[in-house]
Amino acid sequence: MRKQIFLLSSALALLALASVPAAAQSTSSEEGKTDKNWSAPETPWGDPDLQGTWTSDDTWGVPFERPKQYGTRRFLTEDEIQQREKRVEQSQEFIDKGGPAHSPAVAELEAKEKGETPPPAQGRYGRGVDAAPVPGHWGEFARRASPLTSQVMDPEDGHIPPITPEAAKLLAEKQEMRRKQDSYVDWSLYDRCITRGIAGSIIPVIYGNGLEIVQAPGYVSIRYEMVHDVRIIPLGDKLEHAGSGYRSYMGDAIGHWEGNTLVVDTTNFLGKTAIGVNGDFGPPTSEALHTTERFTRTGTNTIDYKMTVDDPFTYTAPWSYEFPITHEAGYQLFEYACHEGNMAMRNMLSTARMEEAKKAAAAAKQ
Amino acid sequence: MRNSLNPIILAAACIAAFGMAVPAAAQSGGIPRTAAGKPNLTGLWQAFGTADWDIEDHSAEAGPFYQLGAVGAIPPGQSIVEGGDIPYLPAALEQKKKDYANRWKDDPEVKCYMPGVPRATYQPFPFQIIQSQKDILFAYEFATTNRLINMGKPEEAAVDTWMGTSNGHWDGDTLVVDVIGFNGKPWLDRAGDYTSDSLHVVERYTMLDANTINYEATIEDSTMYSRPWKISLPLYRRREKNARLLEFKCVEFSEQLLYGDLVKKTPDSK
Amino acid sequence: MRTKLWIAAAGVGLLLSAAPAWAHHAFAAEFDVNRPLVLKGTVTKMDWINPHAWIHLAVKNADGTTTEWMIEAGAPNGLLRRGFNKHSLPPGTEIVVEGWQAKDQSNRANGSNITYPDGRKLFIGSPGTGAPEPKDEKQDK
Repeated sequence: MRKQIFLLSSALALLALASVPAAAQSTSSEEGKTDKNWSAPETPWGDPDLQGTWTSDDTWGVPFERPKQYGTRRFLTEDEIQQREKRVEQSQEFIDKGGPAHSPAVAELEAKEKGETPPPAQGRYGRGVDAAPVPGHWGEFARRASPLTSQVMDPEDGHIPPITPEAAKLLAEKQEMRRKQDSYVDWSLYDRCITRGIAGSIIPVIYGNGLEIVQAPGYVSIRYEMVHDVRIIPLGDKLEHAGSGYRSYMGDAIGHWEGNTLVVDTTNFLGKTAIGVNGDFGPPTSEALHTTERFTRTGTNTIDYKMTVDDPFTYTAPWSYEFPITHEAGYQLFEYACHEGNMAMRNMLSTARMEEAKKAAAAAKQ
Repeated sequence: MRNSLNPIILAAACIAAFGMAVPAAAQSGGIPRTAAGKPNLTGLWQAFGTADWDIEDHSAEAGPFYQLGAVGAIPPGQSIVEGGDIPYLPAALEQKKKDYANRWKDDPEVKCYMPGVPRATYQPFPFQIIQSQKDILFAYEFATTNRLINMGKPEEAAVDTWMGTSNGHWDGDTLVVDVIGFNGKPWLDRAGDYTSDSLHVVERYTMLDANTINYEATIEDSTMYSRPWKISLPLYRRREKNARLLEFKCVEFSEQLLYGDLVKKTPDSK
Repeated sequence: MRTKLWIAAAGVGLLLSAAPAWAHHAFAAEFDVNRPLVLKGTVTKMDWINPHAWIHLAVKNADGTTTEWMIEAGAPNGLLRRGFNKHSLPPGTEIVVEGWQAKDQSNRANGSNITYPDGRKLFIGSPGTGAPEPKDEKQDK
């Protein structure tokens, strides 16, 4: 009996901690928050006001899963933050100056003209053209050093729980498809300009991390720049999800307020999107996926965001990731009409077919 | 409408019957209003009729695939264009006829491209309006198209887009949305009524009652039409219990059409 | 050495070995690692579209003829947020493109580095006077 009371009171204490965005719990940086006299704004109809454009740019560069050296530490030390600040400054300089004067293509070309064979450019993301595919300073970077050691915060070691054997099989199948390039289905839902899913739409990447929240009595809506995705979240305590026979990539969302926190419960997924970068890194989720998101405004320019992932078909335990999203003066969303301009899909497919034809012709000659 | 019910009870009955949030602000003339006194357009809306097939008068007609029989045929409809016909300049009318002849191949809607404005309003899909105290979101079910109506200081279009750049303001009880910065790629319907990047659309949304909006759009493009012209049609609130915007992501339905010729041929494939 | 600097700057603090957004599809699927090139030409049009902007380039050949090239660049929305717009690369502008040619050897290349003839990179920082003001600050609470 005593053990039960202890567990219950511990659980309640944890719940109390979790629902209050205390400074120790919040992922928003101190610089992002305003003074102690700040109080959460409300809409004219009395709901907490989350409206505006928000971006996860500041979390670009924070590893999704936690590097082992940090153990169970959620936040960087002052020294570590200073190191990160240096890199943030470097990226600002990169935007201002544009990085190296020439593309690696020039060195390769010069060597070629001399009859030499240079090693192709090497980069973290590939060789040759993949080392430097586009002008990097066109990207978008963190404006401040995030204090986070990782985006995954729960389990406490910052690592996603092991995936199930079924999910591992689907992941392997997906990776095989990416190698094949036989058909448009072999590319990601992002490359096909379909969707990045709700997690992939907020996990930061090198550009396009913006979203916009618009509220009305009874609703919160979120529109994401990439890939012009949108969610309409009706609010209420007794709302029901759509029937299980209707499914979608972005899921069916229902919201309610817990104090100043918007809690969004989403089900009815088609699966297929991954909880990772661009909705493609990691195993595809399943129809069993059930997500819980929490949006808490912590200042004029910051919202704490957290998603708890529960997909027993894919992961052996629920897990969560969190980070702040910030409002930046002058930051607005622009149309991202992806499918309409997706010339790369035809170009990549035609190149794959051309190479096959070359190989077949060469083989036929032997 | 005569009603002996207390407005508060009526509002409660609405919430119970439709699961909709009805703002606490008093209703006048049956039109829900925001705390600031403006008509509250928040809700799920849809046009009826067949304007997306052809915004001018059109008879019933066989569709492109006889295999679909009556299901694949084109229903009749009456013009939503005031005055009946679009006032094309001669060269533009010739181009429209060419586009009509090639419509199954060239209509951007077939490819799941965004429909532009005003076509997004009268496609056979609902759309959700979320009206905040500042800006207004329109989220269309077709292809997850969405646009934000900027209700603050009007902005210029930084680039040309499919859905244009929308600046809105209230003219009494009418929401007026001025849309510029189109890229000239959407069509107005499936009948070859194409657009150019000089298109300028001014929309007017006026609630006739709590469940009906009168929608008008003035279309102007001096490179295509001899004068500005107008369309109008009613929009109806979707009132089913638990009605919600669903997802129609149609890219996957267009990929075989757009890329099928480049897919690796297997021994089984044609 | 130059490549390392580029990656160090671009991959700021990223310890995760995930595929990043730039390489969301391998450019090597479209462009030939064995065909680096430098093109000098005049812009005829810039398509400010997603997922990649495209620059149409008229390149004068040695024999005096002109060839139209299409250059695949990055996504434009980050530039729009810095205040650049559809007028920021007017037709007639001379530019130099460094990159790799399409594998099918068509007149298509990626714009790994895009500069003016004097070496200044396109779209550095934010535009100066003449560009439209960014959207008004709306947050007042």
